[in-house]
Amino acid sequence: MKIFFATDIHGSEVCWRKFLNSAAFYKADLVVLGGDVTGKAMVPITAHSGYWEVTLRGETLRLDSKSELDDIITRIRNSGFYPAIVSPDELAHLGGNEAAVGERFEQEMISSLDRWLDMADGKLHGGDIPCILNGGNDDIFEIDNVIESSPCVSFAEGKLLDLDGFSLVSMGWTNPTPWNTYREAPEEELAPKIEALAALVPDMGRAIFNFHAPPYGTGLDEAPALDDNLRPMHGGAVMKPVGSKAVRDAIVKHQPMLSVHGHIHESRAIKRLGRTMAINPGSVYGDGVLQGAVLELDKKKAKVSRYLLVNG
Amino acid sequence: MATESVSGTPTLFLRNATGLVRGWSVRDSMIYACLSTNVVTLGIYEFSYQSFIPKGQLLTSVLISAVWVSFLVIAYAGLIVTIPRAGGDYVWQTRILGSGLGFVMAATGWWFILWLWAPIYGNILSVELFQPLWATLGDPSGATWFASKTGIFVVCLITIAVAGFLVSLGMAGYARIQKYCFYAGLIGFAVVVILLLVSSKSSFISSFDTEAHKIFGVNNAYAATTSGAAKTGYVSPAFGFGPLGASMLLVPMMMFYLLWPNWGSTLYGEIRGASDFKRVFTGMFSGLWITAILSVIFLLLVAKTFGTGFYNDSNALYWSAYYGGKIPAAIPIWPYPVMFAGWLVHNAAFQTILILLMSVWFFGWVGTLFLSSTRVIFAAAFDRVLPDRAAEVSEKRNVPFYSLILMLLPAVALSAVYAYSLKFETYTLDATLVIAVTYLFSAIAVVILPWRKPELWRASPASRFKVAGVPVVPVAGVITIGLLGYNLYEWLSNDAYGVNNHDSLIFMGILYVLAIAVYVTARLVRRRQGIDLGLVNKEIPVE
Repeated sequence: MKIFFATDIHGSEVCWRKFLNSAAFYKADLVVLGGDVTGKAMVPITAHSGYWEVTLRGETLRLDSKSELDDIITRIRNSGFYPAIVSPDELAHLGGNEAAVGERFEQEMISSLDRWLDMADGKLHGGDIPCILNGGNDDIFEIDNVIESSPCVSFAEGKLLDLDGFSLVSMGWTNPTPWNTYREAPEEELAPKIEALAALVPDMGRAIFNFHAPPYGTGLDEAPALDDNLRPMHGGAVMKPVGSKAVRDAIVKHQPMLSVHGHIHESRAIKRLGRTMAINPGSVYGDGVLQGAVLELDKKKAKVSRYLLVNG
Repeated sequence: MATESVSGTPTLFLRNATGLVRGWSVRDSMIYACLSTNVVTLGIYEFSYQSFIPKGQLLTSVLISAVWVSFLVIAYAGLIVTIPRAGGDYVWQTRILGSGLGFVMAATGWWFILWLWAPIYGNILSVELFQPLWATLGDPSGATWFASKTGIFVVCLITIAVAGFLVSLGMAGYARIQKYCFYAGLIGFAVVVILLLVSSKSSFISSFDTEAHKIFGVNNAYAATTSGAAKTGYVSPAFGFGPLGASMLLVPMMMFYLLWPNWGSTLYGEIRGASDFKRVFTGMFSGLWITAILSVIFLLLVAKTFGTGFYNDSNALYWSAYYGGKIPAAIPIWPYPVMFAGWLVHNAAFQTILILLMSVWFFGWVGTLFLSSTRVIFAAAFDRVLPDRAAEVSEKRNVPFYSLILMLLPAVALSAVYAYSLKFETYTLDATLVIAVTYLFSAIAVVILPWRKPELWRASPASRFKVAGVPVVPVAGVITIGLLGYNLYEWLSNDAYGVNNHDSLIFMGILYVLAIAVYVTARLVRRRQGIDLGLVNKEIPVE
């Protein structure tokens, strides 16, 4: 069985479109997106009478036609941002109101995800190609129901899924980050969550852990070291392990066949932990490139027979 | 939630999410760039070869080189902010130019040729630390032993061990060491500046003669140096800026130290923000120009206190004797200007401390030898071009054991060849040439980036940096191609640089053949295993 695994596309529409095409491109039997689906930023486009105005990466643009507007919206979406068309009054209101910004963010995330799932329906032949999604620490909980309700995508968070004889268990929660995001918990709380999932697995020799947090100290979790003010130290050249010790302990203890991770974009790496092959394909969603892992699983030998990290 | 705004109007709303970091300190990257273009270890060492272009003016060539390399800094800043990835040239070239070319250029420029840099680093440690230190401590024969073949080889092994140890420390530990070394090195440099500033030429001549006699038993060493150089047929140019043509010919030599402000580009991770172009550029640019300014200060003070003629004569005579000339050098070890400056104070303890203090320029820099190689080896292993083991890291100490072997063992072998073959030592500039070729392809990549990857370019902060409506980064790329093309032409056509001879070309050719062989073998082996390496960088269609 061939799986394509990608992660952390953070709202990048071009990466989502590539993900939907990845099964055909890599001749994969199923595709898995490992969390952090939603974007981090929203770009207001101010609607004036007869034109729109937007500031994109420091450059203020006046858009006089619908086609110019559509072009900018595509650019914004491809970068992983949400375009939000607002009136000047709405923009002024958002500027001083965190709650209103949060509400608008949520609206944009949900509507964008809805649109993505509609696209998936066509590309994945209405569910003929299995597609699995789960949350990541940066994803709000409100997206869970949206994905769950999709007919062509399986929402994997906190579940055991059977993949033609292999067992996939998924968890989007991570150990704490400096940003206090949505699905993060102390290590001592992560451990029982993982154990509960592991208890569902009938045969660890055929198990795949799909945990957003990479295992600590494995090279899959190297992020730029930050000082107290969240400033990268030494020009961003100094890295330090920031993965989860609970995830690592669980892999070492249970020895699943494969574990796939994300969360730390710059830590594209592979590491063997005993019998387990642990992979983080990394993410460069901002470049519009879909990094991923093409994994061939040998059903008879219960092992990863081939793998390739790709920049699609 | 956070906002970015222009004149009070919000232009971007950010929500709480991982990785939203604040801009990093420019100072750190400036220090890395300054130590990579190291005026003391690389600069002063290369200045000593002025006699190979006898009419060339060091001061002029330093300034021309620094201005020209500034465009390389702009081009690389553009690449760094557009594709900010650890692995630098390897990542950019594989993504923009193709997997095979990217691997060959990165493997030769950031891995294989660093085997040759190991003995070059070792030689510099020998001439700037062990030789002057032993001499100052009253053991001139010990000092000359360090200049012998075995002495050079032993110091090369020490260098490789130190560099390997620093790699195993990791960047966090090494960055701290680097910072301390930089500041201590600046204090040492300031001491040298003060000594040269407050001393007259006549007091230097007197001190030089006294100390040379005391340490090496040489009488009237200053006069013996100038007359010895004259007997070799060398005539130093008077201090000044011209002639331009000969000074231009020194530019390919100056690349030995000024071509590396971008050395940290392989280490930058995924950090990008609207203002990053300015930060990345400023870090590298200020590092380059601090080095250039320190070089100018050094050369001006040398002219004032040593005398330009004497300085060039001492170097010319040393190299003439070293390469088998009949006239012996007045001072039997490499003429280290810091040692000469220390002789202005007739106190062995002070002289020793000054040499040790200035040696931190070496120790802050030596880690750069293998740090980037590990990144390239890891990246190639994850792309399945190298065996998986190449990227393995030991569990206990987090040491990249196999990649260290891939770097250290060939470096030891090449150090032996370098130390025991005088011919091979003249290939020093091969080490610069091969990296320049790698840079050349990155410069080509930056020029074609707006056409090859238009979306990526449009989204890059570098694309907004324009002068009169023209994007500066691709133009800087073209000027960089000019810089590298000029240097490559001179290196390959002019005998003075010691790289265009048959054996040197064979040596460099072997490196490229080896890289091609590794890549082709990997493609074939992986194909047999059912893995198509062609897929690694093949873009998935969007529609």
